[in-house]
Amino acid sequence: MGFLNAVRSFIVIFNYFCMAFTLLLSFIYIIQLFVSLFRVHRNYDKTFSDDFLSYVDSDNLLPISLIIPAYNEQENIVQNIRSLMKLNYPQFEIIVVNDGSTDKTGELVVNAFHMHKIETSIRYQIQTQNIEAVYYSKKYPNLLYVQKANGGKSDALNAGINISKYPLFTCLDADSRIEKDALLRLSLEFIKDSRTVVAGGIVRIANGSKIVDGELKGFSMPKKLIERFQIVEYYRSFLMGRVFWSASNSLLIVSGAFGLFRKQTVIEVGGYKKNTIGEDMEIVVRIHRYMRKNHRKYKVKFNEFSVCWTQGPMSLKDIRSQRRRWQIGLMDTLLSHAIMTFNPRYGFVGLVSMPYNWIFELFGALVETIGYVLLPFTLIMGELNMFFFVIYFLLSVSLGVILSEGSLVLEQYTHRAAMTAKQSISISVYAILENFGYRQLITLFRMEGILKYRKLRKTWGKIKRKEFEQ
Amino acid sequence: MKIELISVIGLLLCLLIIGIEYILLYRLAELQDEHTARTENIRRRLDIHVEGVLYAPTDGSRNAEITAMANEINGDFTVYEMAVEAIREHNGSSFSGDDEAKERLIERINAQVDPVAIYVKMLDEGDVYHKGYACRRLAELNAQEYRDKIKDCVGSKDRDLSYNAAMALCRMGDVYEVAEYLLSIENDTLYSGRIVNEFFAQFTGDRGELASLIFEKCNKYMKCTVIKTIAIYKLDRFRPMYLEGASGDDSQMKIACVKALAAFGYPEDEQLLQIAAGDKDWVIRSSAIRGLSLLKTQSALNTVKHALGDKEWWVRQTAAQVITRMDISPKDLEEILGGYDRFAADAMKNVLYKSVE
Repeated sequence: MGFLNAVRSFIVIFNYFCMAFTLLLSFIYIIQLFVSLFRVHRNYDKTFSDDFLSYVDSDNLLPISLIIPAYNEQENIVQNIRSLMKLNYPQFEIIVVNDGSTDKTGELVVNAFHMHKIETSIRYQIQTQNIEAVYYSKKYPNLLYVQKANGGKSDALNAGINISKYPLFTCLDADSRIEKDALLRLSLEFIKDSRTVVAGGIVRIANGSKIVDGELKGFSMPKKLIERFQIVEYYRSFLMGRVFWSASNSLLIVSGAFGLFRKQTVIEVGGYKKNTIGEDMEIVVRIHRYMRKNHRKYKVKFNEFSVCWTQGPMSLKDIRSQRRRWQIGLMDTLLSHAIMTFNPRYGFVGLVSMPYNWIFELFGALVETIGYVLLPFTLIMGELNMFFFVIYFLLSVSLGVILSEGSLVLEQYTHRAAMTAKQSISISVYAILENFGYRQLITLFRMEGILKYRKLRKTWGKIKRKEFEQ
Repeated sequence: MKIELISVIGLLLCLLIIGIEYILLYRLAELQDEHTARTENIRRRLDIHVEGVLYAPTDGSRNAEITAMANEINGDFTVYEMAVEAIREHNGSSFSGDDEAKERLIERINAQVDPVAIYVKMLDEGDVYHKGYACRRLAELNAQEYRDKIKDCVGSKDRDLSYNAAMALCRMGDVYEVAEYLLSIENDTLYSGRIVNEFFAQFTGDRGELASLIFEKCNKYMKCTVIKTIAIYKLDRFRPMYLEGASGDDSQMKIACVKALAAFGYPEDEQLLQIAAGDKDWVIRSSAIRGLSLLKTQSALNTVKHALGDKEWWVRQTAAQVITRMDISPKDLEEILGGYDRFAADAMKNVLYKSVE
């Protein structure tokens, strides 16, 4: 009897805890939404008088090395390089780092761009696996192809940094496309504030849409439900979360698909960390840590107008693998830099951003899952006030919808020509529907990531992609 | 009961917010649709006018077409800009490839549309962003008579507006205002460096005069920045200052002055550049190597060859890049490539592989 009472009390207390947790998180999200609305509105107005295209001729524009780590990317690699060559940027080089692919990635690149092997000097500022060969093409002088032994994505990026010659570099996924002016817009963050060391662009889901040379030529709704839900999810994550965190210079993640870095800073912190699957977050957190520890002035920025298109997973299996990987990457980074948490030495990053990621992004999944598990017990034990439960459920769904709808408004603001009114309204239906099943499923995948952290923390996994529609 | 009541109120509030968001979203999307349809419509009509203007058989009919286009523009700056862009980018008519003729045509359109009046109105009535935009456009149209209005904006508390207005004056060649603006930001070292660079690049007046005015009152940081920026313009009047700075003890000034002197490529500076090529600061060494490469004397070539083995990668790389522009003999080349100095050979190979098939 005593045991049952204890269980009963635990369930009741935990239910209240879950409720408070959800409401607190929603409250934080709503603050994020309002800050983002304000920032995006202001930034959009600013772009009116910015005349960013006039910077194309500016001496201040820093040349950029575009590093594409490629491992078995034969489907997209050539098409991606061709699309990058059409970027509206005065001085850039493309470095394709073949990380020991077992398919025809290398052969395709070398043949498509008439490349030949050269001997070149490489400054090994960051330790990497052996670089076996470097290829160059006189016809495409801003393209380099590097063949190296397999060492993982981080190692490939580090090799790219070693061989690059420009002060800024960007890491790009072989299966993503960046818009023609995206690099120019992003590099302005470095011109306008010389303290900027990292700048991230917005990543949008390309599924269903027609992307030609990185430009959206027609938005249409993807066929599968999970692809539609991801569109809403990405808007929320980028337009709400990242705009907010960058406003307080405490953005902890810049998407691996599209981020611009000051090379010298990355070299100073020792390059990308090997043997982690969350290298994109880890490098940014390490930069925060290094800069704050050394009392250096710096900025980590986010530009919502620099667009990169990527393909979201198309099957449940792939989305499970992706979200599990993201969660493991998050956990790995937080554990590696746990010392920063609640540490005033690291300012807002240590006192707010890191704890937020621990509590809500990492353990949020845990709390939510336990909440789902305990719900039937609460019902069985008669501890659940049905009226209250329904109200609470509707409240939490409504808060979720407010956030998703809010990010759709933000999207309509930043990328005005993308969707028609009809499309905009129809996608908003998915902002409601995602709360019934999809959100819970994603939570379970995240939970799985936490549970399988030890086992999977060095496994990348491959997501099935198809060629971009041309 | 109390908490349940609060929850119900909270829920109702949420539903209200969702409703507002839906209306906002729908309105934004609708506006976007209207805007897209309107733009397409205007573009279609403009295309007809543009063709009419460009392909008009007589001057009289061209005038009539210009009037029709001016009526279509009807004081709307976006339509005006679309029309101008369409004319500039149009290919196929007798105007193709003749940019000057196109510009003359745009001037005739301007005479009827009066874009200056449109932008002045924007400058008077718009918010800070519109004001900034109007300043830039007025400068492009060289509306000197509105310089005072633009000057008023330079003093704005909004940094973007202040920048846009000063940039407009820069394009109008207003030496005093631009100098004052640059001096006003000289202590903001995070900002002023790139502004100096941009302003000198866009300045349409006498760059030497602008630099002189700044040198009279500026601090050391601004002085060095301006010297480095104007190096590419090779202004002889500042050579004595460069020579003094290059042989002085101040390292920042030395970096700037060596860079400026190196840009001239004068034989009389060779000795100074030779000394600078041995400086402890690699930035100075690198600039000196660049300067020496313009001289093409045997002694300069020897120094650049020596720099191929410099301990600093950037200096080696600079030397390798510039040596190919010098009169290097096959024997010298062979010596470097097969020589004991691995760094020199590597740097050379890197450049040669990219320039020789």
